[in-house]
Amino acid sequence: MLLNLTDISNEPLQSQISRQIRAKILAGELKAGTSLPSIRLLARDQHVSVITVQRAYEALMREELIHSRRGKGFFVSEIAQKEKKELAKQRLRENLELPVKAAMAEGLSSKEIHESVDFVIKEKIK
Amino acid sequence: MTKAFQFIDVVKTYPDFKLGPLNFELAPGIVLGYIGPNGSGKTTTLHALVGLIKVDRGQMEIFGRKNDPNKIDWKFDIGYVGDVHVFYEGWSGAKNLKFLSQFYPDWSDKRVTELAQRFNVPLNKKAKELSGGNRVKLALISALAHSPKLLLLDEPTSGLDPVVRSEVLDVLFEILEDGERAIFYSTHILSDINRLADELAFLDNGQIVLRTAKDDLTENWRKISFRLNEPVTKFEAVVNHRQEGTDHQVISANYQITLRQLSELGAENIQENRMTIDEIAVQILKGGKDVAAVKG
Repeated sequence: MLLNLTDISNEPLQSQISRQIRAKILAGELKAGTSLPSIRLLARDQHVSVITVQRAYEALMREELIHSRRGKGFFVSEIAQKEKKELAKQRLRENLELPVKAAMAEGLSSKEIHESVDFVIKEKIK
Repeated sequence: MTKAFQFIDVVKTYPDFKLGPLNFELAPGIVLGYIGPNGSGKTTTLHALVGLIKVDRGQMEIFGRKNDPNKIDWKFDIGYVGDVHVFYEGWSGAKNLKFLSQFYPDWSDKRVTELAQRFNVPLNKKAKELSGGNRVKLALISALAHSPKLLLLDEPTSGLDPVVRSEVLDVLFEILEDGERAIFYSTHILSDINRLADELAFLDNGQIVLRTAKDDLTENWRKISFRLNEPVTKFEAVVNHRQEGTDHQVISANYQITLRQLSELGAENIQENRMTIDEIAVQILKGGKDVAAVKG
């Protein structure tokens, strides 16, 4: 599995790992039933500690995106389309919290923030 | 589960320095970074564990066996790369390795060849003709050839160039894929170990001031700035505090506790940032026992 991890980020390695695997699952790139690399293999492959991968997998298990089968390893879970949307929204809300707070601290209104989001969607992402 | 190693009440005293009492252990499959400034006792700890020095009191076990210098069974389980690399200087690398091989039942010449190729070490050269980097590599090969369950490394990458360092780290990551192996890695350079280590022990002036999961440190420590009009004498979980007028900046060893207090105090414009493992280590080693107490 290809992950793109960096040490120059405010985001801890374990969240980088869980976020990137989550994105692959929600985007359908990793389908239900697909097996994930073992914790130790991924740790070796990505040059991170075993505990870091273990915690990333635990986070994904708590979100019920993956499950483990004794002795067999980790697998992508079956997730309903509706649920995927819900999870994606939840992530977006979490990610928006900081910039929205900062914008409010700088005096922008709710309407102005919404307009800015629309602007980003229109102008920046094509 | 049997511990990879265990220190029980170990003390070693020198006229101007005291190490311990040390009480700590390492579980199989774990990489423990042993972090401390020069002179904090890292090398002495390793010398005690591998039986190079006699301690004043206490005892040490390796996979459940006492590190009795008169016995050799416990030595089969360890691979040690020390602070100095001792070879027969007039012999070639190959001859040095051949000599060592007779002491280890599990020694593998195949492994030696494989590592020598990967590290690109000229084994036909005399030890005294090897560069500093190649000497470290030769020491690593001799520590790894019997596939030990516990690898003890004393600043193994100091003095290595970045390419060689990354080759060494590659091999260490590989070793760990087999979940039984443990690594005890002593260093004062955090960047060597910040990816590899599962846990960190901070050594200051002969004492372990903090032992913790690495990911807990990076999760819990934050730099927090805020505005507060009331004078406050003590911020909770804070190890460092700066103030200009009503602007404050603190370093918290547990951001949730600090943030809760700040919100009770009615602080405004609260901003928090994560810290790198290096920044955190500096705070811990500067603060010594006080910081450990804050964390606890």
